[in-house]
This record gives sequence, C-alpha cells and structure tokens, in this order.
Amino acid sequence: MIVTRGLTKRYGKAVAVADLSFTVSPGVVTGFLGPNGSGKSTTMRMILGLDVPDAGSAYINGSAYTDLSWPLREVGALLDAKAFHPGRSARNHLRWLAQTNDIPQNRVEAVLDIVGLTAVADRRAGKFSLGMGQRLGIAGALLGDPGVLLFDEPVNGLDPEGIRWVRHLLLDLASEGRTVLVSSHLINEMALTAERLVVIGRGTLIAETSVDDFTANHRSDAVRIVTPTPQRFVAALSRAGARPSVGDDGAIVASGLSSADIGELAAGQALTVHELTPLRASLEDVFMELTSSSIEYRSHTVDDAAAHDALPVR
Amino acid sequence: MTTLPLTTTRRFTTGGFTTGGARARPGPWRAGLRQTLRAEWTKLVSLRSTQWTLLVTVVGALLVTFLSTHGALHHSRGWYRGFDPTNQSLAGLAIGSLTLGILGVLAMSSEYGTGTIRSSLTAMPRRGVLLTAKAVLVGLGTLVIGEALSFMVFFEGQAVLSGGAPTASLGQPGVFRAVALSGAFLALFALLGLGIGAVIRHTAGAIAVFAGCTLLAPILVSSISESSARFAPELIFANSAAAVVAHPNSLSVTLGVVLMLAYCAVALGLGALLLNRRDA
Repeated sequence: MIVTRGLTKRYGKAVAVADLSFTVSPGVVTGFLGPNGSGKSTTMRMILGLDVPDAGSAYINGSAYTDLSWPLREVGALLDAKAFHPGRSARNHLRWLAQTNDIPQNRVEAVLDIVGLTAVADRRAGKFSLGMGQRLGIAGALLGDPGVLLFDEPVNGLDPEGIRWVRHLLLDLASEGRTVLVSSHLINEMALTAERLVVIGRGTLIAETSVDDFTANHRSDAVRIVTPTPQRFVAALSRAGARPSVGDDGAIVASGLSSADIGELAAGQALTVHELTPLRASLEDVFMELTSSSIEYRSHTVDDAAAHDALPVR
Repeated sequence: MTTLPLTTTRRFTTGGFTTGGARARPGPWRAGLRQTLRAEWTKLVSLRSTQWTLLVTVVGALLVTFLSTHGALHHSRGWYRGFDPTNQSLAGLAIGSLTLGILGVLAMSSEYGTGTIRSSLTAMPRRGVLLTAKAVLVGLGTLVIGEALSFMVFFEGQAVLSGGAPTASLGQPGVFRAVALSGAFLALFALLGLGIGAVIRHTAGAIAVFAGCTLLAPILVSSISESSARFAPELIFANSAAAVVAHPNSLSVTLGVVLMLAYCAVALGLGALLLNRRDA
C-alpha cells in the first residue's frame, strides 16, 4: 500500500507537484497517468525518499521510505532505464544490490532468468540496448521479492514482445497480491493492464478512480450518420432533440440520441441512411480532454480541430 | 545483439523465494553499515576502472621513483649537501596522490554520472551510512595500497641510489616515519577526493577541483606568496610528510598532518551535509 498526503514539491518558483494525495492499493495494477512533465517521476522519487517534499509526506505500508528496515525487500522500483554503471556487468550490478539488503545471491540468478538476461549477464551493462537496460532495471526491482512495486514508464524502449512481457509481468505481480504503481503518459497502454487510475496534470490530482468509471463518467456518446439528404436529416434530428453537426466530409455527427433512436427516427420519416456508426470517446480522448489544460509542453498541429475528432471505441 | 530468451509465452511467478528465502526476513535488525560495506566492496572491485587506476598508480610510481633516484646518481660532493635519500625515493608517490584522489572522486561522482546513485539510495536510504561505507572502504583500501606502494618505492629508490649516492635505511631516525606517513597520506588524498566528489557530484568538475586544490593551488599561490604554498596538500605531502631532512619553508610534520586531516574532514563533512540535504 502506498499513501501520499499533500505531497508538494517546488523547484524554485515552478511547482512540480502540488498537494497531491492518493492511495495505491494492493492486488491491482494502478496506472499513474499524466502528460510529460506533469510530475509523475518527481512524485515517485518523493515516495522513494530520493527527493524531499516541500510539504506533505508519502508512506509505504505505513512508514516513510527512509524508515524501512529492509527497503529492497519491501519496495522495488524502476526509475529510469539507466540507473546502473555502464562498466559493470548486469550480474555484478544485481550482486551489489542484493548485498545491501542481505538478499541471497541465488535471487540474482532467479531475476536474471525472469527478465531473460542470463545469457548476457556478464557483459558490461553499458553495451546493453535501451530495452535490455530496462529489463535489468526490472530485475533490480524484483530482486528483493517486494510487496510494493513502482515502475516509471517501464515499456520505454521495449520492442512489442517486451511490451507484452511487461504487461503480463505487471498483471502477475498484482495478482500475487502486490501493490503495483506504473506511470505512463500513454493511456492506451495503461488501459490494457491497469484497473485503477491516478491521473495528474501539472502536479495536481485530476482523477483517482477505476478505469471503468473513468471512461463511463467521461463518455460523450455520438453517432455518425452518412445520408444523401443531410439537410432533411439534420432538421429531423433537431426536432427530435439531438444536437447534430455536419462535418467537412458531409457526414453528420449527432449527440443526445442513441444510434437505435436515430435508426427508428430515420425509418419513421423515410430518410435514407448509408451509414450509422456509434462513436465513443476513447480513453485517450478523455485523457486528452482532462489534461489538455495542464500540458506543460504543448505542440500545435496544423489542423488542431482534427485532433479532437472522436474515434471509434477500440 | 543477442536474442533474449522469450518470456512472453511463459507464465512465471516472481515468488521463487519459497526456495530462495528472501521472504524469510534476515532478522529483526535492519540493513546497515555491514551490508552497505559489502555492496560497496563489490561495486569497487567489479569495475575495470579501479584495476586500471591501481595499475597506473603502481607502474607510474615505480617509474617516477626510478627516474628521480637515477637522476640523483654520481653528482659532486657539494650537490649532496642536504640530500634526503628517503624523500628522493618517495617522489613517485606524487602520481598516487593524483590517481588515488581521482579514485576517491569517482567513488562518489560516477554514481551521479551514471544514475547508480538512485539505486544506491533506494537500497540504503540513510545517506550517511552510504557515505560512511564509501569512506571506510576507500580509506582502508587506499591505506593498504598506499603503505605497500610507499615501502615498495622506498626500497626501489634505495636500491637505485646504492649505485652511486647516499642511501637511507628504515632504521635511521625519521625514515620509517616518513615512509609510513607517506603511505597514509595517499589514503588521505583519496578521502579528500571522495569528499570533493560528494560536494561537486560531476566527475569532470570534481576532478578539476581536486587537481586544482592539490596541484594547481601551490603553483598559483607560490607566485603570489612563496610561504603560503606550504599549506597546499601536495606540498605538505612532499615537503613535510615525506621528508626526513627538514625542508626549508615547510610546515612541521605534526602541523602538516593536522592540516591535511582538517582538509579531509571539511571536504567529507561538507559532502555529508550536502548529500543529506540535496535531492538525489
């Protein structure tokens, strides 16, 4: 269990994390979501005692990280891909890490096997690809068989196979009753593994909820209609209480009525329908909408409007 | 690139501990200096740079001592007035003061340069323990190496000098003290480097400061005031600690040792203070 209460961190005048309180429970994967620069990594570093908060506190199983008797046996963390010396072999990196917490040396071989680095364990870690480095970081996190795990962007640099492997790993760890917090700026990645979400933007909490509630609460259903007689259709939709709009491609996007209602409406008024598609805001859209005001480094597309088109549900 | 064994299809569990036993807590106590010392030792010996540094130190010291003593052979009687055969033979240790100092710097700064510091501090969140472990290991390790090297170059130098110059032996007054103290000074340079590494954190900057304090400072200061240069670490080492015949314009041995210890204490103290205060 991870608990943060009023966590606040400033760098000079810039506020990186502001009054952040959330709880991460065991047994499920909790996604820690936010745009780049929203304070996810800073929050994780504060939980791990690496950065000292300006206000507030973080607890792991009821105590501050720095008070843990055997930190690596209680908490495993992957912070960034390269938290090791490039001149040291993977095996030696894990060996010294194990020694700090009296973790038996056979555990080093066990985690090397779990992450699939046994064959290259004696090679200098500096020669590793980003993905292999990531695996070594994960091995370090698993070393003490901890009940609480934090992963900062674990799929960074992994190939599709590796990404799938991490997904299974996270789910397995959670199903064994561990507390698993995984940060990401890609919500669709999280949607595949996380059951709970902590969403932050500009260092403040936007939502702390389940993935299902998150999409349900922020769903903006709409229906896309293609018809040879758009003017008549729009008029009929308006009379029925829907809010139609005609897009550049001539298709109508109507909200306020279900696709079934619109089908009935078309049949009743003898309107020709070529296409009738229910549109749902994807998790991504909800996320973008919620965090759009809080994105630190905003990019501008040539056609900003296109970016807001609703996408069919995955 | 080597193909990694596929683990995607294999359902694994991480709970291999039923056999390994990490779940079985080692006891009611907590991770402390003993564990961190073992880990720091593994860190130190598992880097090739450590071995290279030691090799350069030993070879460099033997070479410089050879050149220094060889150059002192077959001079006129007048040239040997005030000649200090012990000091002459210990000249090679100057190399060690630089290389072992850099070893000390790297013990801390390389952790920041590579990101290892975050692994180190999550494994041992009490930062004082980490710095203490490093100081103990770097200090004791370089003390052993320093003493061995000091006696090595002494005997080497005396062997060369015996070919045509006055020699010294350990039994003569002050000789043993000079040789033993010189070995210990190498350890102090390493500790000074460690402290500076903890303060500066960037390898290049920390090495520059270390070299500036020890090597450059005496040159700069002596151009302003000849007598102030004797307070510089490298000159305390060469003219006070490693000297049997009192060098003109140098500090007494006692004052030199006290001052050098003070430099180390300031650097390590400031390093500890900042390590505790700053974000990693």
